[in-house]
Amino acid sequence: MECPGSKTMVLDKNDSGNESTGSIKSQLSQWPIQLHLISPTAPYYQGADVLLTADCVAYALGGFHQDYLKGKSIAIACPKLDEGQDVYIEKITSWIDDAKINTLTVMIMQVPCCMGLQQVAMQALKKSTRKIPVKLTVVGLKGDILSEEWITV
Amino acid sequence: MEQYLNMGIKDVISRFPAAGDLLNRFNIGCVPCTVGTCLLKDIVDIHSLSVEDEKELFTGLGEIIHPGEKIVPPKIERKQAAKSGGNTYSPPVKSLVDEHKLIKRLVALIPAIADRADPSTADGFQVISDSVGFIRSYADKFHHAKEEDILFKYFDEGTDIIKVMHEDHANARGHVKAVLEGLEKKDKAITSYNLKKYGEILTEHIKKEDEVLYPWMDRNLTTREVGEMFSKFIAIDNDFADEAKKYEAMIQTLEKNFKNQGD
Ligand SMILES: [Fe+2]
Ligand SMILES: [Fe+2]
Repeated sequence: MECPGSKTMVLDKNDSGNESTGSIKSQLSQWPIQLHLISPTAPYYQGADVLLTADCVAYALGGFHQDYLKGKSIAIACPKLDEGQDVYIEKITSWIDDAKINTLTVMIMQVPCCMGLQQVAMQALKKSTRKIPVKLTVVGLKGDILSEEWITV
Repeated sequence: MEQYLNMGIKDVISRFPAAGDLLNRFNIGCVPCTVGTCLLKDIVDIHSLSVEDEKELFTGLGEIIHPGEKIVPPKIERKQAAKSGGNTYSPPVKSLVDEHKLIKRLVALIPAIADRADPSTADGFQVISDSVGFIRSYADKFHHAKEEDILFKYFDEGTDIIKVMHEDHANARGHVKAVLEGLEKKDKAITSYNLKKYGEILTEHIKKEDEVLYPWMDRNLTTREVGEMFSKFIAIDNDFADEAKKYEAMIQTLEKNFKNQGD
């Protein structure tokens, strides 16, 4: 069976969504953003509401900047392809314990391999001494929100 | 029909009693609601009705209010569309729901305690003062204070649904005060009556919070607010941890003595 995460599909685009015209303001307020490149104690993570998103999410979600990135700090990662994910667990733990982030929102695609990112986050949460609310948002291939819920360890 | 949208739900029901039955069918418990001043148009948002239910409810209300006329159900503005399936409480709100569980365990014992505990006996006096101790400390100083000083502050406290909650807290406190007076006079009629009243108020109150108020609040709290509230609650929980354990054990003892006995 073909891996559902890399199965070829053409997505139907004739539904009536909003198509914005003109330039849309970026809500990105930091650099870098890749989880291997960031320092978990950078100023923009201190006490922040942090978004940990799978790489593909921002491409699938039409309103990503306005609806999800706005007001948050971010890091991106791919749980299927990235190497050295132990470092990811360390960095997320450091967000929670050292940068004392306020909340963590994990955003993943609906494909099964993306669940790995949630697991990385949960392992970090178990290791950390502080506890914070963690939200999981699952995005469909067509840019729809399939579920959005608070998860408990 | 439009004029009734801005009317308190209780007034609508008193003018059109059939509307009360219709609302009940949508699990909108405004008939037993103690104050019930929520506006008709607000219930769609507060009770998170689906678009289909909203249409059905207002078509039904139209038939009750204007019988025989063809009414186009009004479209109610709401802050956001009701999310399907997203019925999990946020972590700080979930902790309040968990506290309700211990409070409900005491409330479940109240009918038996009210009937059997006589404040003129040493044992009866002790049981009633233990129960009141729990109510004043755990239910009120700890739990209701979290609601009043933290959770409710994130909302416009002039909102009717929050006014109703404050009123419930105040009424409950009034009955607790009366229980203490009855205890002092060693008057069982007073302690029994007021304990039972307290139990009735809290049963309805907790149901309203778990099923209506908290889900509505969770839909309107931002992620930032959820995180802030979570850490404030953790600090309070840590300070109260020893007492919470003591009360948990106390409820267990009361359950041994009063559960499924006597009545
Ligand atoms: Fe309350
Ligand atoms: Fe409560």
